[in-house]
Amino acid sequence: MSVAYFPGCSLHGMASEYDRSARLVCRHLGIELKEIEDWSCCGATAAHSLDHLLAVSLSARNLAIAEQMNLNQVTAPCAGCYNRLKTASYEIRNSEAIAAEVEKIIGAPAPVYSEVTNMVQLIIENVGIEAVAEKVRKPLSNMKVACYYGCLLTRPAKVTGFDDPEQPESLDRLMQSLGLETVNWSHKAECCGGGFAASETSIVVDLGGQVLEAARQAGAEAVVVACPMCQTNLDTRQEAIEKVRGVKYSLPIIYFTQLLGLAFGYSVSQLGLNKLLTSPLTLLKAKGLI
Amino acid sequence: MPATQLSTDFHKTMKLDNVNTSLQEEIKLECGVDIELCMECGKCSGGCSNAHIFDFTPRKVVQLVKIGDEETLLKMDALSTCVSCHLCVDRCPSQIDIPRIIDYLREKAHKQGIEPTRKNVQLFNKLMLDYVQKNGRVAETHLMVRFNFKTGQYFKDAEMGRKMFFKGKLKPFPSKVKRIEQVRLLFRDVPARREG
Amino acid sequence: MSNRTKTALIIGGGPAGLEAAIKIGQAGYSVTLVEKEPVLGGTLRKLCSSFPRWENPQELIDFKLQQLDQLPVVRVMTDTVVNAAERRGDSFLVTLQGKEGSNQVDVDAVIIATGFELFDASVYGEYGYGTYPNVLNSLEFEEKLKEWTAAGDKPEALQTVAFFKCVGSRDRSKGYPYCSKICCMYAAKQAGLVKDLFPDSKCYVFYMDYRAAGKEYEEFVRSVIEQKHVRYVRGRPAKVIPEEGRLLIRAEDTLMGIPIEVTADVVVLANAIIPSSGTKEMAELFGIKTGKYGFLDSDSKSPLQAGDRVFFAGACGFAVESLGAQYQGAAAAAEVVALFNQAD
Repeated sequence: MSVAYFPGCSLHGMASEYDRSARLVCRHLGIELKEIEDWSCCGATAAHSLDHLLAVSLSARNLAIAEQMNLNQVTAPCAGCYNRLKTASYEIRNSEAIAAEVEKIIGAPAPVYSEVTNMVQLIIENVGIEAVAEKVRKPLSNMKVACYYGCLLTRPAKVTGFDDPEQPESLDRLMQSLGLETVNWSHKAECCGGGFAASETSIVVDLGGQVLEAARQAGAEAVVVACPMCQTNLDTRQEAIEKVRGVKYSLPIIYFTQLLGLAFGYSVSQLGLNKLLTSPLTLLKAKGLI
Repeated sequence: MPATQLSTDFHKTMKLDNVNTSLQEEIKLECGVDIELCMECGKCSGGCSNAHIFDFTPRKVVQLVKIGDEETLLKMDALSTCVSCHLCVDRCPSQIDIPRIIDYLREKAHKQGIEPTRKNVQLFNKLMLDYVQKNGRVAETHLMVRFNFKTGQYFKDAEMGRKMFFKGKLKPFPSKVKRIEQVRLLFRDVPARREG
Repeated sequence: MSNRTKTALIIGGGPAGLEAAIKIGQAGYSVTLVEKEPVLGGTLRKLCSSFPRWENPQELIDFKLQQLDQLPVVRVMTDTVVNAAERRGDSFLVTLQGKEGSNQVDVDAVIIATGFELFDASVYGEYGYGTYPNVLNSLEFEEKLKEWTAAGDKPEALQTVAFFKCVGSRDRSKGYPYCSKICCMYAAKQAGLVKDLFPDSKCYVFYMDYRAAGKEYEEFVRSVIEQKHVRYVRGRPAKVIPEEGRLLIRAEDTLMGIPIEVTADVVVLANAIIPSSGTKEMAELFGIKTGKYGFLDSDSKSPLQAGDRVFFAGACGFAVESLGAQYQGAAAAAEVVALFNQAD
């Protein structure tokens, strides 16, 4: 099965371990990821904050290329890219006026056929939880994790149509299939501060801190994410958060694909588990997983 | 919180006779958002990620649209600090898409050249779009460095940057789009392409 | 026309069904009253107190049961459900399924009084109902109040209770845009009971507005605020967060226009009133209409008539307090008696 793959800027930059582990895991599960040729940035927060049509067009260009490659199913591991691509697809499908404008701007037919899925969804819908469980070689038992979906995987619900916007379950079920215990907690889909990491860092320290605190109180030993922004905010700002809150969290923020890969038998370096700032290695060693 | 210059003096009697509904109609037409569905319950604002630092809670933003106070809306701090998390719309009993209203107002403020309360947020967005226009993609590291230099915060994330360098997370040579002219075309009629 | 005494079948033994059975019995017609639970009383039986007079609902039920006892024409069948119904001219052949097996009865009119259910609040992930143990729906909390009142052994650490109104109701995104009508009243009642049981506790009722349209209702809510010192907070809560064993509530005080937080031990949700599953089944069995939300609808001939010889009373028609359910039970009984009188 072939799927158009949109890595996005983060996965070519700071989140290369997400890219690497996503590709490994998909190949392992029989999903052939075909990178969208010459893809360009989805526009991220910057574009939709400044120009609606630019935002839709930037994403639409990528979907249009995927359609030219005869690939209608598009996946993006980055929740931010997923959300922008999905929003573009939604706008184009729901407004003929926007579709017409976009067609003019990108100089290609409006990509009305594209089905955009996030990577959690891709694996659950195209492979299935049971099939994933069957591939587990090393069950990740005795470890409690908090699955953190953030804002962009599920919201706005009318656009994503994916899982519950408040208490999503899909990533939890996927992680449970690896043997992990997932905690019930309040901040699965609260915001980490998103794109404010550089421009208003205090917002990230505040909101990210609330997420980490809720995860700690729920008894999580690590946080599982499917978004490079969430990962970066919770990981790189963890020290600042600890300083402000006076609590030592030491919570590794791990990409879900890294844990899938670990359960499938891939190594720490293959999955880039050594690249996370708050190292998960001590925890994984203590649990006998590496 | 940076002070917002209010066009409506909220300490004086508001003359409802003078309120005009054109902004409300404009938002319905341009964004497809009907604020007459608002039940004034405040659920949007109780759960808003940043309401505690907003000058106007999301419910008040809706109310400002109702009373047609465009000037306040275009100058308010909430335009800078809304994180677009969409908690408000998914919790709203009427699914009123407040983030869409915010984006619309941001775009409008930007086109009118109104100074945002938090210049860094807009600067960051503009620098990012510059990269997209130039290379088609964003090199996060370069963007961060450029942003910190532009804002005079030379050492802001130096320690974090050092750690990330040793983790091999920083890429000196970012990837670029080959057919960059395609991407640049998208910016043709967009005021956001103006240099920040 | 048969010479046997006319029989009415009443489905549901809550306040509406009980009232209807008594009135038809007193008029001299025979009644079969079926109730799926082992005892009569319906939801009323589960309540700790009533509004607006703080009465013990069990006393009303006991009185109604005494009235029933004096009416040999009324046959009460608990633990029984209606399985099948077949219209035969002016009567119905109805199959009743009890614990000891099923039997068939001929009846000449039917009153459906199947009551209501509470909307399942677990769809509001933000409130954590079904996830956090101290987030309860109003009936679950009423049960607690009943326990605490009866046994006298109440929790010591209960400092703060918060009530959320309009959970499901007045929320078109959840499919229930209507006002459930009774929540404003019972939330005030429950908050007042908490203050009676725990005078030092704090009680917050989060409201969009309070609707107290009924005899002595406005005075009742005011007394809860003024004499029992329950605090009303205007705003619909947005989030419940477990924090160190308690529950942190986030909302906006819409009068101040600022976000607020308060920590509670228990959160009580006033869920939307929705038709019970039995109501839907009965509508199908007797071939009558339901409205958009599944409540039984009048056929426009009479307010409580849903079809030929089929009537309804109480919360299966729409959310109603127990007093209103009794009114409707009596009114539906009058319809049946009038019908039977005409036929004789």
